[in-house]
Amino acid sequence: MKTFLKPSDIAHASDRLCHMEPGDLTPLPHPYEDFNQTVLTPLKPEKIKNIEASLDDTVAIGIPRPASREEEEALVSQFLSGLKKLFEKENNWTFLQPLLLSMEHCARCQTCSDACPAFEMSGRKEIYRPIFRSEVLRRIYRKYLKPNGKIMARLTGDIDLNWTTIARLAELSYRCTLCRRCASVCPIGVDNGLINHEIRKLFSQEMGIAPKEIHDKGSVLHLRVGSSTGMTPPAAKDSVEFIQEEMEEMTGYKVEIPWDVEGADILLLHNAGEMLAWPENVGAFAIIFQAAGLSWTMSSEAAGYDAINYGLWYDDVQFSRVAVRHADIARRLKVKKIVIGECGHAHKALTVIADRLLTGDLNIPRESAMVTLEDIVMSGKLKFDPGKNNFPVTLHDPCNVVRAMGIVEPQRRILRKIAPQFREMTPHGVENYCCGGGSGFAIMSGYNFAEWRNLVSSRKKFMQILEAFRNEPREIPKYVCAPCSNCKGAIRDIIDYYHAEERSHLHYGGLVELIVNALDGMKKPIIRFGDKPSWEL
Amino acid sequence: MAFYILTYVCAVVFILATGCLIYKQITLPLHVRWEIYPVQHETSAQTTYGGSYMEKVNWWTRPYKTSPINEVKYMVPEILLLRGLWKENRRLWFASFPFHLGLYLMIATLVLLLLHACFTLWGFEAFADGKTCGILLSGLMTVTGWVGLVAGTFGGLGILYKRITDRELRIYSTFADYFHVVFILLFFFLAFLTCLPGDPFLNGAKAYVLGLLTAGAFMPSYAPGQNIFGALTIVLASLLIAYIPLTHMSHMFMKYFLYHNVKWDDAPNRQGSLIESAVMQNLKFKPTWKAKHIGADGTKSWQDIASSAPKETK
Repeated sequence: MKTFLKPSDIAHASDRLCHMEPGDLTPLPHPYEDFNQTVLTPLKPEKIKNIEASLDDTVAIGIPRPASREEEEALVSQFLSGLKKLFEKENNWTFLQPLLLSMEHCARCQTCSDACPAFEMSGRKEIYRPIFRSEVLRRIYRKYLKPNGKIMARLTGDIDLNWTTIARLAELSYRCTLCRRCASVCPIGVDNGLINHEIRKLFSQEMGIAPKEIHDKGSVLHLRVGSSTGMTPPAAKDSVEFIQEEMEEMTGYKVEIPWDVEGADILLLHNAGEMLAWPENVGAFAIIFQAAGLSWTMSSEAAGYDAINYGLWYDDVQFSRVAVRHADIARRLKVKKIVIGECGHAHKALTVIADRLLTGDLNIPRESAMVTLEDIVMSGKLKFDPGKNNFPVTLHDPCNVVRAMGIVEPQRRILRKIAPQFREMTPHGVENYCCGGGSGFAIMSGYNFAEWRNLVSSRKKFMQILEAFRNEPREIPKYVCAPCSNCKGAIRDIIDYYHAEERSHLHYGGLVELIVNALDGMKKPIIRFGDKPSWEL
Repeated sequence: MAFYILTYVCAVVFILATGCLIYKQITLPLHVRWEIYPVQHETSAQTTYGGSYMEKVNWWTRPYKTSPINEVKYMVPEILLLRGLWKENRRLWFASFPFHLGLYLMIATLVLLLLHACFTLWGFEAFADGKTCGILLSGLMTVTGWVGLVAGTFGGLGILYKRITDRELRIYSTFADYFHVVFILLFFFLAFLTCLPGDPFLNGAKAYVLGLLTAGAFMPSYAPGQNIFGALTIVLASLLIAYIPLTHMSHMFMKYFLYHNVKWDDAPNRQGSLIESAVMQNLKFKPTWKAKHIGADGTKSWQDIASSAPKETK
């Protein structure tokens, strides 16, 4: 296996372009040294014999192998057709200007490399370098779509285009979490995250290639039944009814979650995954909104109870369909604003990206729950006893809320008020690292992909968390506040994978749980370290 | 005269190529927002930590305000001192900064040469040779010229050295990348050889720019490129002017779009706004993406498709 890969090597067929050996990954501190020699569980030959798996030691998509040379050639041709469309306004007005600028002006100075947690934690594996996949696309674009490209390729960087190149590029686009830390440090403003996003779009929109978790079981299911969890409207109502009962039992506070209230001030959109995995989050929101006397509602219409919009990560059309659906539900409910719960990508999708998609009466004002919650907590309407949260707390910054939207301080002002042992991670705010589960990774677990996430893309976050609590005794419970469903999922998985609850007494949860935990008048705490909640028993 | 013609042609190429680049950018359709924080035109309180106007409750009820002063406060050290590179990639900064400084000072020297030529042609007595302002102007251009040549040469050599010796830079460097640097280095080197032995006060350059503005009529006795190095410097400088907008080095001015039209483009879409009109135009585009779930056939618009369900759900 070659040690130093070049972008052009992606086209050369081999069993694996990149392989991780024991000890390659960045070492973890005490007491996690036993994981330092861990590598991914090898993929079973019978499981990958019919799919493309020659990029590295994992598989995110599982693209079926073409049956013949003709089929390969047809796929290459489809790829080029899709690539051309990325540069046409009719097909890609959504991102044409950012894409063109990032394609043309990279100086290849490598400033982006040190900013990428996946690249750094992998032991600087070349294929995970932010510029690697951009450079592959750039070279294909110049060689195959630009005039005199084949001649100019000798001067500006050559590459062969074949099925191996394409299959690996598709997989490689799912080794970047789209956290855009690389873009934030680029002195010129080039965005490798965006180029990666566009590669995903090309595969999905032209070739119908995307991980099943985010397409078939994601955006398609969302639009078909109402939620990517598979929950239909009646099931969502049942879940919420259960949550109401649980909240009363857990906290002693009786809460009523309103459905479909026409003319309410607020339509609250949750990631429906919360209802199943973290129902206390949905319940805590309800307690706060009810105690503060807000006029609010949830929607029981299909897609109206699930804020997710997976199209954000891979497909502009799927993205647009979901965004329009959300906005239309809010319009028909005649609410004054949509408040987006603790779901990072839903924040960016509906507030920022859909801002230049929704027009007229579909352009309903959208607000982050961080902001709404700060307004409530600071208003004095509710009384708090911060002593109830007297344990170490650190805050994770979801990339889509913080770096992509600039919502940085509201959640911090809340924590400074209600969590006396709050401390920042290093770095934090807009410079914070991704949880490793961004851009769909938190929900992707086919083959051994979840293991890759835990070992590589979430590793930096795990190290940051450990560092934030470095001076705390092991036996003290510690709380990682992650106000985003996908981030919570990724953090839950690293805590499980590294046995961090047992070894470091690490726990995680959202922001609203901390707020309710500190709320005066609650008969019982909502945060109980070590206790399994009833829905997990 | 051939030298003047070459420079005229190169200047025209520069103007046309730059114009094309800018025209292409300003005629592209409005894209979706893709800003990344910190957005430096935010108000002072928020730029300190990278916050946005969306941190305010009911933000849409407040006027959208930007702070040009904050933007300038950020951009001036970013452009002149390469602050971002200093913060994020200091090893490269030590080569890149003098290289860029050299280029900036060359541009400054050219501007001063043009000023000198204009003042001379307009007969401004105060700027005549021997007068205080004239001495200051000549002194200034000598300083910018020499400091630029020294900084640019060292910086260029540093960049070349880094590209050759640093594996991470080398494997992504193409022939074109080396050519850009060598081309510029060669210009600096020849300018050195032209000025150092016999023209430390850039009198040849002053005469050449005067000649350029008058098509050689002002000093008919002056012949540009009086030695081989002078001639090559004129040729390379002219070609460099034409070359920059044709390469990724156009980031020198295209960075404006990368920052203002993408990284900092946080302007919200309000009902009845120009942004809304542009979005409505965009929604009329008819995509031709081929994947089945898209359902595009070249007749349906984005609006039609966005309000439909994917085929798998029907």
